[in-house]
Amino acid sequence: MPSSSVDTFLACSVMIVLVLSAMAGTSKLMSPYLNDLAGRDDIERFQYLASNLLLTTGTPSNWGQSKSAVLSNLGFAKADAILPYELDIDKVTRLNSENIYSMMYSNLWQAFGVKDVSFQIEIKTLFELSIELVSNSTQGSQSVYEFEIIAEKSGMPISTSLSSYAVVKDFVNKTESSTSSDGEGTVTVGIPNSVNGTTLLLVFAKSTANPQVISFNAYAFGHNSPSPLPNGTFAKLSPLNHVLNASFAYATAEVSKAQVFTSSYNFSLTEKAQGVQTVEYLVPSLLDASPMVMVLTGVNGSTSFAEWVAYPQIPLQIGADFSDSIAGSRISVHSQIVTVNSALYEVVTKWGGLSSSV
Amino acid sequence: MFDQKGQIRIIESFLAIAVIFSAVLVSVTFPSSPDFSKQKSLSTMGTQALIKLDTNGTLGDLIIQRNWANMKTALDTLLPLGVSFNLTVFDEAGNAVNSEAIQNSNLLGREVVSVQYVCATRSQVVDFFAIRLQLAWTG
Repeated sequence: MPSSSVDTFLACSVMIVLVLSAMAGTSKLMSPYLNDLAGRDDIERFQYLASNLLLTTGTPSNWGQSKSAVLSNLGFAKADAILPYELDIDKVTRLNSENIYSMMYSNLWQAFGVKDVSFQIEIKTLFELSIELVSNSTQGSQSVYEFEIIAEKSGMPISTSLSSYAVVKDFVNKTESSTSSDGEGTVTVGIPNSVNGTTLLLVFAKSTANPQVISFNAYAFGHNSPSPLPNGTFAKLSPLNHVLNASFAYATAEVSKAQVFTSSYNFSLTEKAQGVQTVEYLVPSLLDASPMVMVLTGVNGSTSFAEWVAYPQIPLQIGADFSDSIAGSRISVHSQIVTVNSALYEVVTKWGGLSSSV
Repeated sequence: MFDQKGQIRIIESFLAIAVIFSAVLVSVTFPSSPDFSKQKSLSTMGTQALIKLDTNGTLGDLIIQRNWANMKTALDTLLPLGVSFNLTVFDEAGNAVNSEAIQNSNLLGREVVSVQYVCATRSQVVDFFAIRLQLAWTG
């Protein structure tokens, strides 16, 4: 073989190797840019999907109130909404898995009709409220309990005005106080020693800067009685269409009082119907910019209970679980402020590729 | 072993590679198209926060009361953490009304999105204000 042929062969080999490595290098360098371009469309698409979910009523438009309605198109907006991003209290409530009328994620996904994406919906108050029992003492014929309240949004303190209700059996004590600019406040309640049993402290906190921004929490404790069992042990409470359904775990459970509380008002609930270990109560439509909290007090044998549920039934989370997503997979998160019954809440939607949990 | 023809081809191959690499380098240094999706989401959040603050007249009330501290707190609550803002209120003549800065952190050096909103007070004598909310992602 002549030496020129060997040289040509060597030169061609070097050229091919270098061209191939150059091509590989180019594709590696360009791929993040190209992926970013593709992903950018995804983000915008998910933004539109999230808005669509919160701006449309769905089909039928009253699917929230109607237990028998077959959902064919998903949307959470209130049917006769005046404001954008005003959600229906019942559509929101039916997302909570603790409600007996709750919707399955698979039904929601099918009704949404976008087959190549999965989603998760989280609805919560705009700030968190924590309650801690600091002290209790006996003063004359009553016990005085002192609670520390902290209002904050992811660690940022919120100045609020507080409305608190101590509820035990038929007894209700309302107190007003506030959290200062450091987000901390104190609630002191006196409860007569003539009553005893599981006691519930309900606290509603309204931001002083904007009264539509409201949060709530409940703290159960034993007043002259043992520590209470977890909420839902004796009865499962499910509000829908301004009717509260109470399903009792024990046939021996007896309700002494059913009440509804908002930041400004509290009323006794009227019984609507009674079934086998179930009772239904009518829930009034209140104009107060506040979530409603319904409390059932009663006894089961010698044990007293105070079961509660919020209406809209939040906080809640439903949908695909993105926690075990493959590292690097694209998940788009969108946060929106929405109105439910004149109060403001935060809806966080997460969007991604089709999940195995659908 | 190496004759002149072969050497020329080797030089050619290196030249070809140099051309390919320079093309790659040029393409990488091209300015990428701007990502508007983040700005869009900021602008949506800002508009939504102002609309929600205005739904029950709180925004107008806070301006009339010149309660800039509460205005800042209200926006702090409505906007997600990680968003810096600076709000300026203008009257009908275009003069800035707020005597102090309504902001949670400095926006200098950040990519800022500006949202304009017109607010009418819910009083017997209606006043109009133009609100400019500037937003940026922190970090």
